[in-house]
Amino acid sequence: MNHLTEDELVEHYYGEAPADVEHHLHECDTCAEAYTVLRQDLASIKPSVVPMRDASYGDQVWQSLRSSLPAYEQQKKQKRHWLHFNLLQGLSYAAACIVLIAAAFLAGRQWEHRQHPNLQSAANNPSAQQPIILVVLGDHLDRSERLLVELNHANDTGAIMPVKAEAQDLLSANRLYRASATRAGDPQLTAALDRLERVLVEIVNEPEGSSPSQLARLQKEMNTDGLLFEVRVLRSRIPDQQKSSAVRTKGVSI
Amino acid sequence: MEENDYSIVRAVLAGDKEAYGALVARHSQSVFRVAFRITGDEADAEEVVQEAFLRGYQRLQSFESRSQFGTWIYRITVNCALNMMTKRKVEATHQIAEEADPSQHQVQVADSAADPERLLMSREIESMQKAAMHNLTATEQTAFVLRHMEDRSTEEIAAALHIAPNAAKQAVFRAVQKLRRSLAPLRTNA
Repeated sequence: MNHLTEDELVEHYYGEAPADVEHHLHECDTCAEAYTVLRQDLASIKPSVVPMRDASYGDQVWQSLRSSLPAYEQQKKQKRHWLHFNLLQGLSYAAACIVLIAAAFLAGRQWEHRQHPNLQSAANNPSAQQPIILVVLGDHLDRSERLLVELNHANDTGAIMPVKAEAQDLLSANRLYRASATRAGDPQLTAALDRLERVLVEIVNEPEGSSPSQLARLQKEMNTDGLLFEVRVLRSRIPDQQKSSAVRTKGVSI
Repeated sequence: MEENDYSIVRAVLAGDKEAYGALVARHSQSVFRVAFRITGDEADAEEVVQEAFLRGYQRLQSFESRSQFGTWIYRITVNCALNMMTKRKVEATHQIAEEADPSQHQVQVADSAADPERLLMSREIESMQKAAMHNLTATEQTAFVLRHMEDRSTEEIAAALHIAPNAAKQAVFRAVQKLRRSLAPLRTNA
């Protein structure tokens, strides 16, 4: 049989022991004797006699305190001030976070630009834009070449109609290409497109039902043969430029 | 009358400082009693009472209406008294050690029969008990006073001392062990 420990006996004395402790004390003389001694020991420790305080004691305590206590309204204000300070502190933390995020974003962008400088230079370099113009222009010059060939071989009144429609279509595009060539600083191309534009305008403005003699006059006045040659030269120039520029501006050429 | 305590607390928080005087008057006796039992000194107990009501006023906003003001201020008082005890024990360690020599007391209480001597023995017993109590740590002494003299449960002691219930129970056990050891000479001479 396991005897009760002193702690268990103390718990029992203060009424906090499990029920089986009481049962054990009835059966075990050793534990019962130990408990009797413990009870005597604890019973001998009497609560000290508390000195009496008269009825006015509470008032005395209050009078000694009241001068040192601030009114609670003031404390509330202090708390509000403290909350205000905390709010400001929180806002400043949030602002600092935003600045950090913005700085990280900008640093990331700078790093990206340093890693791939060709992308930026390609976007800003006019020479890099040239292949784009030239490639699209190649198609335009093809169509212009065909138009001039058709114009040179148009010997009857009925042949001028599809040429006029095509000229009308090419005219607006040609203006854009000419403006782009001017901006790109290519005087040869600009001059050729300028002459082509004048021819296209003449064709568009040519009255319907023009006679073959009128067409011959237009071909002569506008020197369409010379212009055709010039367009063919430009067409032959385009693949070489495109190839060399594509090497310079990796990933940008079409 | 705890409902009145709540209304007084609300009035104080609304700015009526004077209303707190009613709470002080109502609970000062019980606060003084526990303060004296823990400190064992009248002047210290009065100091603890003032400190407890001052802290109570300062923390009144944290007082929750689901507990009673009496219980709340009681816990604050126990804490103030515990702090006071810790401070006093540091100040008077050597003096207590000299007075707590059990062999001296054993000699003094032996072989006494006449009434003046019985009176002397009674004083000696009281003195030994005091010395035995002073041998406890501040936490052990407070836990024992709350358990033995104030009839507080382990949970209440734990809540008042801000410790776990098991720690409160162990503090009481250690206090009882030390007290029995210190008071053993009384048992042999009884």
